Amino acid sequence: MSVATAERVIEFRDALREAMSEEMRKDKRVFLLGEEVAEYNGAYKVSKGMLDEFGAKRVIDTPISESGFSGMAIGAAMRGLRPIVEFMSWSFSLVAADPILNNAAKMLYMSGGQFGCPIVFRGNNGAGGQLASTHSWCVESMYANIPGLKMAIPYDAYDAKGLLKTAIQDDNPVFFLESERLLSTTCHVPEEEYTVPFGQAIVRRAGTDCTIISFGRPLHFCLKAAGELAKEGIECEVVDGRTIRPLDIDSMVESVRKTNACVIVDQSWSFASIGSEIAAQIHAICFDDLDNRVYRVHSDDVPTPYAHNLEQAYLPNARKICEAVRQATYNV
Amino acid sequence: MPIEITMPRLSDTMEVGTILHWHVKVGDEVSAGDLLADIETDKATMELQSFDDGCVEQLIVSEGNQVEVGTIIATLSEEGEVVSDTKEVIEVPAITQEVPAVTQKVSNTPQAAPTPTPPTGEQRTGQRVSPVARRLAEEHGIDLNSVQGSGPSGRIIKRDILQRIDTTSETTSAAQTTKVVSTDVVPSTVPVTPVNIAQPLAPTSPWQQERTEPLSNMRQIIAKRLVESKQTIPHYQVTMDFDMDPLLEMRKTLNEQLAVSGIKLSVNDFLVRCCALSMATNQEFNASFGGDCILYHGPVNVGIAIALPEERGGGLVVGTIRNADQKSLRTISQESSYLSKKARESGLAPDEMGDTTFTISNLGMFGVDNFTAIINPPNSAILAVGAAIEKPVVRNGELAVGHEMCATLSLDHRVIDGAMAAMYLQSLKELIENPASLLV
Repeated sequence: MSVATAERVIEFRDALREAMSEEMRKDKRVFLLGEEVAEYNGAYKVSKGMLDEFGAKRVIDTPISESGFSGMAIGAAMRGLRPIVEFMSWSFSLVAADPILNNAAKMLYMSGGQFGCPIVFRGNNGAGGQLASTHSWCVESMYANIPGLKMAIPYDAYDAKGLLKTAIQDDNPVFFLESERLLSTTCHVPEEEYTVPFGQAIVRRAGTDCTIISFGRPLHFCLKAAGELAKEGIECEVVDGRTIRPLDIDSMVESVRKTNACVIVDQSWSFASIGSEIAAQIHAICFDDLDNRVYRVHSDDVPTPYAHNLEQAYLPNARKICEAVRQATYNV
Repeated sequence: MPIEITMPRLSDTMEVGTILHWHVKVGDEVSAGDLLADIETDKATMELQSFDDGCVEQLIVSEGNQVEVGTIIATLSEEGEVVSDTKEVIEVPAITQEVPAVTQKVSNTPQAAPTPTPPTGEQRTGQRVSPVARRLAEEHGIDLNSVQGSGPSGRIIKRDILQRIDTTSETTSAAQTTKVVSTDVVPSTVPVTPVNIAQPLAPTSPWQQERTEPLSNMRQIIAKRLVESKQTIPHYQVTMDFDMDPLLEMRKTLNEQLAVSGIKLSVNDFLVRCCALSMATNQEFNASFGGDCILYHGPVNVGIAIALPEERGGGLVVGTIRNADQKSLRTISQESSYLSKKARESGLAPDEMGDTTFTISNLGMFGVDNFTAIINPPNSAILAVGAAIEKPVVRNGELAVGHEMCATLSLDHRVIDGAMAAMYLQSLKELIENPASLLV
């Protein structure tokens, strides 16, 4: 029996679990492995209750050895299974760089099409709050540089579920970047089956004066900035790219053609980043539609500070975004 | 610290100045008061004197170059200061580079006149335009040279083009409206008379050849200020004839008596005094339009238009007779002669040509019997004076021969209404036709 569930609101972490559980129920090849995912119900309780439902063969606790269990999962994927690898933090994926970048991303190419690698790597990305510089990695710019992989960054619980289901169903390695700071956020997530396709950006707020492009957690700062700028009479259009690979540059360009101004907000460092890539593409595709150069807001070019005040100053925030938009729209 | 010498503001309308000649060179010791350079302003060529003692360190702007007021044109090192190595004249990006004295173009086929150097002479090659602004300008056929950029470093941005499009569409719709109206008025069948256009003579002497001459500073300022005046001030004219016999009679007597002291009063001197005295009862004539107010001036400073001789580049200046209402005919005459002579020979100093509150332009000496003049802002009126001409007149109901002078006031209707103009002319007539009161 189903009750009216139009406004069912759940947490981001629940949405992730629903996506994994639903896909695991549908497809026996899908399984989850990672540190503390089973007995402890997940370091962030994302996999709560999954051990009970799916058993220890499909929800597997691993040793603290990202290189080892990532390699194992990649082998499983090559042999026909569809693993989901949870990194407690994407910061820890660095020790698994060789298997995830050299093996997972290149296997289809290196094997001449004999072996694919349908695998999802997921976990927290970006500053979690005073985790200091080695545990606050934003890996998107670094990893998105690699051909052969896909990358999704959900903004809310709805997208977390819809994008993760698409990731699990995809036959390619997908890097799925969550944020510890968003796990407790809630929004409406339907109970009915749905997915969010890759490569389709969405306008989170419509506006006429400046396009703001971002992904994941910084979108929340963008929307806050857009609210403040509206009071000054500057109407921003906030575009959520949703996936970095594939990148929906067409939607971004469409918005820039309308506003003639563009600010990109990317929580990774500015040098050779997602922000610089999108800026380059916009300059290349719609140069004649720009009224100013593309402005970018990034984390400052230093290792992430531990001190709370310094960390706040280091990250992209609404104040920095407002400043960039004023510059881009000649309202300074 | 070197002492910086900047392009001074030598008149109240001066925006740019040209270094005509440096009287010093790098390394020269100068004292306060020494002549440094000749500077051509919008009105005249003036001398730039040093305010300080020192040694000329750099001449930054070279001769012939024009720069904005306030631009550093030279530096002096103070006594005991080590003179830096920079000794050569540095070419700063001047507003206009030296142009050939006369750009001659001889052509047999009719051609559009070449665009003269714009007054401000921005270097259009380095113009900054945002991509979308450039595209919009192209789409709407807007000449980017005519758009002032509001972005950083003068970059033309979308906003500037959109404003231009707005203005243009307003003008266009206004023009279309006018056209419709005139179509209604003009009869549908206009007789067309074939016109025989005389064959132009083949160019035989240099003056007949097509040519372009760059505007002098003075022509630039005349063009700018008079266009501004004619376009922004709602002009209208009021004309009156004056019986000049009594005044001419008195002038003859006075001049005979004053001949020994070398004084010769001109008709214009009388008019200066008449115009100034009439202000007392017509204060709007000594006022300016101030946007949201009318500014009534204290002193009555009457400007007299002085044409300059061709060898000084032609043009005209307005000399100022300050507090003209408090000066005798003798003083007015002396000042007027001095100003005319100085303007024609060496040019007027700033305090000799600013601050006018009313202007007289007299073409009577050229036999002109009447004309109209353009108001000299911020004045609200100008009197255009023709010659005192001997002609048949009616005096006491009888035809007689007498001298009459026609004078035409041009007025700013924002300040002065028609009846006020008439009253002023009546007051003028009262003084001119009863000139004895001018002596007391």
